Amino acid sequence: MGLLKQMADNDHLNFLDVVTGNTFSLEEMFFAIPEIGALDKHLVFLYLDNKIESTAIYLSFLGTGHSTVLLSNGLDISLKESLEAEYTPSAIFDQTRPAIHGYEQNVLKNSWSTTTLFIGYHSPTRVHPNCKVLLSTSGTTGSPKFVKLSESNLLENAKSICAYLPITREDITPLNLPLFYSYGLSVLHTNAISGGTMVCGLPDILQKDFWNLMDKHGFTSIAGVPFIYEMLNRIGFLKKQYPSLRYISQAGGNLSHNIKEKFNHYCLQNKMDFYVMYGQTEASARISYVPPESLESKITSIGIPIKNGKLSLDPETGELLYSGPNVFGGYSEKKQDLSNWEDIEVLRTGDLAKMDEDGFYFIIGRLKRFVKIFGNRVNLDEIERFLKTTLDIGLVACIGIEDQFILVSHCENQVDDTEIKKALFEKFKIHQTSVKVQLLNEMPLTSNGKVDYKKITADKD
Amino acid sequence: MNDNNTELLIDAFANTLEIEKNMVNDHLEYQGIPQWDSITHMILISEIENTFHIEIDADDVLEMNSFQKTKEILSKYNL
Repeated sequence: MGLLKQMADNDHLNFLDVVTGNTFSLEEMFFAIPEIGALDKHLVFLYLDNKIESTAIYLSFLGTGHSTVLLSNGLDISLKESLEAEYTPSAIFDQTRPAIHGYEQNVLKNSWSTTTLFIGYHSPTRVHPNCKVLLSTSGTTGSPKFVKLSESNLLENAKSICAYLPITREDITPLNLPLFYSYGLSVLHTNAISGGTMVCGLPDILQKDFWNLMDKHGFTSIAGVPFIYEMLNRIGFLKKQYPSLRYISQAGGNLSHNIKEKFNHYCLQNKMDFYVMYGQTEASARISYVPPESLESKITSIGIPIKNGKLSLDPETGELLYSGPNVFGGYSEKKQDLSNWEDIEVLRTGDLAKMDEDGFYFIIGRLKRFVKIFGNRVNLDEIERFLKTTLDIGLVACIGIEDQFILVSHCENQVDDTEIKKALFEKFKIHQTSVKVQLLNEMPLTSNGKVDYKKITADKD
Repeated sequence: MNDNNTELLIDAFANTLEIEKNMVNDHLEYQGIPQWDSITHMILISEIENTFHIEIDADDVLEMNSFQKTKEILSKYNL
């Protein structure tokens, strides 16, 4: 049974648009999607935002055989164009552009809205039957690297999440995370299957209106990445009471210990559940969670595997391995990659972990050189390659410091700090305050001539 | 807010949002330009705190949603 069928079977499901105050059933959300071409599976780009039309368009395409790439409509136009040149989608939904070269405008209608779908009648990109949704590994840089997910991946993951989150038919769930982000998408899927009201069109949590709407509609949960929890902490969330709120969930990276503890204490005092979770886009979002009753004693843990998932450790490296029905079908870095699907038995997470006597897992380091800056995954090797080629730096070492900032070390006198920061901002949208640059007399090297990252980290202070 | 402090505030906005100083005027609003998003807002708040050596109340973090509003609110802090 498909994802959409599961949602259709939920007779409590409805969608509230806070912009107009209107409520719609799932049926009323559907736009009639025109025939795109002879094939029943075309590649479609959906540039989405937080408005209800975006949710409606996504759900409408879920009911077709097409394969959708979910992207932010806030991406730079140049990034959008280069992605489209690489993948040549047959159709594009993008409310920010009045016209797209090579595409014709088609009017899409449902009972409450009219919008535009751009259709290109060029030869279609071949897509493997399993590919249903493709998500970018980086939401803001428009990296052409996509994670290939099947409908079964998404459905199985949603079912596993529903097995532990206390979702009920009476819930009022704010869709406050973007749909082009795997966590945000999983909030939609799980709540559409097991919940009640989905709240669309929300301003972000730094707008006072979000909190007015929370009071007015009585949201029953909030989902957030670490940065959202840092903001909630800063704007005085913990000093107030929210009678409607039953649980909050956190994923998308490691939340700093003291903030996690503050929220845990708040939840214990206010009889709310706090779900700390771990996952990757490659696992359709979710891999593990900490049962709220265990959080106090396992505050630094990523928890136990979700239902139908298995965690283990690579006996040689200690790398955390995951297997389950939600593991993706490989990456796509270019058009040709879409026509195949790999059956991946074991997802190598790139995280180094250990397991305690109760079966709880703890991340102790990273095998792959990734950092998360404000929730965005940044590949440090990619940054090094970029700096070497564009700024002509001979030896450069980038290190992530506690997911807070990137330390760039180099030995080129003629390259100044602002030049590096500016280049990183323009290419990767990494804010200058998240970058520290240090000029070294000499780059520390290991005995086999490679950059000695450990030495740089140790010498940092 | 005196001219000197206004000038410091304009600098804080321009530096944090990475925009030209002449873009910092009373029409500048949170999420009115792509550069002023939730991330830069939080950075801006701490930049203002550092510039004026003040601690901004939790409630004011949400209120400071335009350049004009920020000036008004900062007057509460005797600036």
